[in-house]
Amino acid sequence: MLVVSNIDLTTDSRVMNPATFLDSTVKEPILNVNNEYRYLKTGYYVSLHAEVLGNRVIPSCENIIDSSRIPILLLRAERAGIPTLPSLVTDSVKKIVSELGFPVVIFAVNPFIYDGYKTANNKSALYRAMKSLGMNYKFAVCAQPLQGEIFSIKTFFGKCQTNDLQTQNICKKVYEHFKIPMCKLHIQRTREKAYLCGLQPVGKDELSGQDLQMISKEVSLLSEQGEHFGV
Amino acid sequence: MNTSVSRIACFVEKYNFSDPREEGALQNFKRAAEKQGNEFHFLFREDISDVRKFDAVFIRATTDPLNTAYVVSKTAWELGLKVIDDPESITICGNKIHQYALFEKYNVPRIPTVFLNKDDLHHKKINDIFEEFGKPVVIKAPYTSFSKYVEKAACETNFRDVCKRFFKKSDVLAIQKFTPTEFDWRVGVLNNDVLYVCKYMIPKGRWKHGAKLRGKPTIVWGRTVALKKETIPQRLREAALKACSVVGKGLYGVDIKEVDGEYVVVEVNDNPSIYAGYEDRKDKDLYGKIINYLTE
Ligand SMILES: Nc1ncnc2c1ncn2[C@@H]1O[C@H](COP(=O)(O)OP(=O)(O)OP(=O)(O)O)[C@@H](O)[C@H]1O
Repeated sequence: MLVVSNIDLTTDSRVMNPATFLDSTVKEPILNVNNEYRYLKTGYYVSLHAEVLGNRVIPSCENIIDSSRIPILLLRAERAGIPTLPSLVTDSVKKIVSELGFPVVIFAVNPFIYDGYKTANNKSALYRAMKSLGMNYKFAVCAQPLQGEIFSIKTFFGKCQTNDLQTQNICKKVYEHFKIPMCKLHIQRTREKAYLCGLQPVGKDELSGQDLQMISKEVSLLSEQGEHFGV
Repeated sequence: MNTSVSRIACFVEKYNFSDPREEGALQNFKRAAEKQGNEFHFLFREDISDVRKFDAVFIRATTDPLNTAYVVSKTAWELGLKVIDDPESITICGNKIHQYALFEKYNVPRIPTVFLNKDDLHHKKINDIFEEFGKPVVIKAPYTSFSKYVEKAACETNFRDVCKRFFKKSDVLAIQKFTPTEFDWRVGVLNNDVLYVCKYMIPKGRWKHGAKLRGKPTIVWGRTVALKKETIPQRLREAALKACSVVGKGLYGVDIKEVDGEYVVVEVNDNPSIYAGYEDRKDKDLYGKIINYLTE
């Protein structure tokens, strides 16, 4: 297994940088560790290049695309038994009000916005959220009911730093299902339950020294034990 | 022939109805579906979450992995509905790097192409490219459609300018040998079979089928000349089907150039344009065939 990464890892495993890999014809399983797997960005092209070469790769292009499109993330997560809330994809304020009510959390579903979300407690806040995340009502958005507190958590190979078992479980399962080595999850916590709401890239500047150590450790472990690449 | 009634959702955006020829084609699809006893409903983005109520989805809004249409396609796919364009076709056709890499892997006759990474934009690399392909070369952003992000460059300064602009959205670009022709063949393919054939004529003095006129914001397209599909050269047919075979089994429009008697593939488009009186001119049955495919 070859690790391809844009991050300074402290590991004994062989690590190649993305540009070198993209010019190569390496034939072996690839672990692609990048802080950003956005479509059309280098992290995506590393997985694409690996797939075209016929290599097994983590993460797959399909998972990269699907996990970053919130409605598909939620649909596939739900089918994999990960707790989610019902969601609606629409550009109609009326529809959101009548089917979900308030409060709601809104995510963008367009080519331009890949980060953040907005919450709304009333109609005028909802209009504002739809205007900005729908880019002046040009695009649909994804709406979910807001039943608890929403927070974001960094997760690396399915591990995260929290004592909340349900949150740990969501991070673990999202990794098992989508195999995105590093990302940020948006999670809603009610008194009883945690729900997955969204997945977005982690900025390089959001990575602490401790995070880097954790990632390096996981990478070393996977190189030793071999990762389960699946299909 | 199918016997049960299918409920077909046709995912469209308002712009699909702005040109009467396109609207005409959409109405033809509806008529063809209803004639076979199916239901055919236009689904707009307001009601995307309703896709689960249908048996099949036909996407006519512009597709791209980052567009809403992909969400519709993948949702339908996950729910087990029949769908044109399917998510994999959207993914491959939506990114020219992906598509050309597959052409290379499976030996599809194509225009000579190299990929350029963001980190490789330097003097030596640019020189090598001009050396290999001559001047000018064609630079394509992987996400282009409607000829929007396809430009020529004949010197290093120009080359760098175009690349810098295209690198804003994609970290890899495609560079090709400039291969001008009088027209592009457009072969419509459905499920490994030729559905219609036309020539997209390239306006005089231009090199792209769609060209912006000086000072005008809208794109002007060259003429479309439809041909009987039975009359096309066998090797043209083979090139088109071979190109589609690396993408999938859906509905495609293959652009092919004829260069010194050889057929080279420019690209496979998912979501090909179908305008009443144009692509369908010699093959009116294309509507029924597509509906059949969605309902069988
Ligand atoms: N290497 C090339 N040399 C000469 N002409 C080219 C070359 N590549 C593309 N063209 C022409 O430029 C136009 C657009 O190219 P292409 O199909 O690759 O881009 P696109 O944005 O996907 O366009 P469309 O959606 O109109 O098919 C076509 O008319 C094509 O024939």
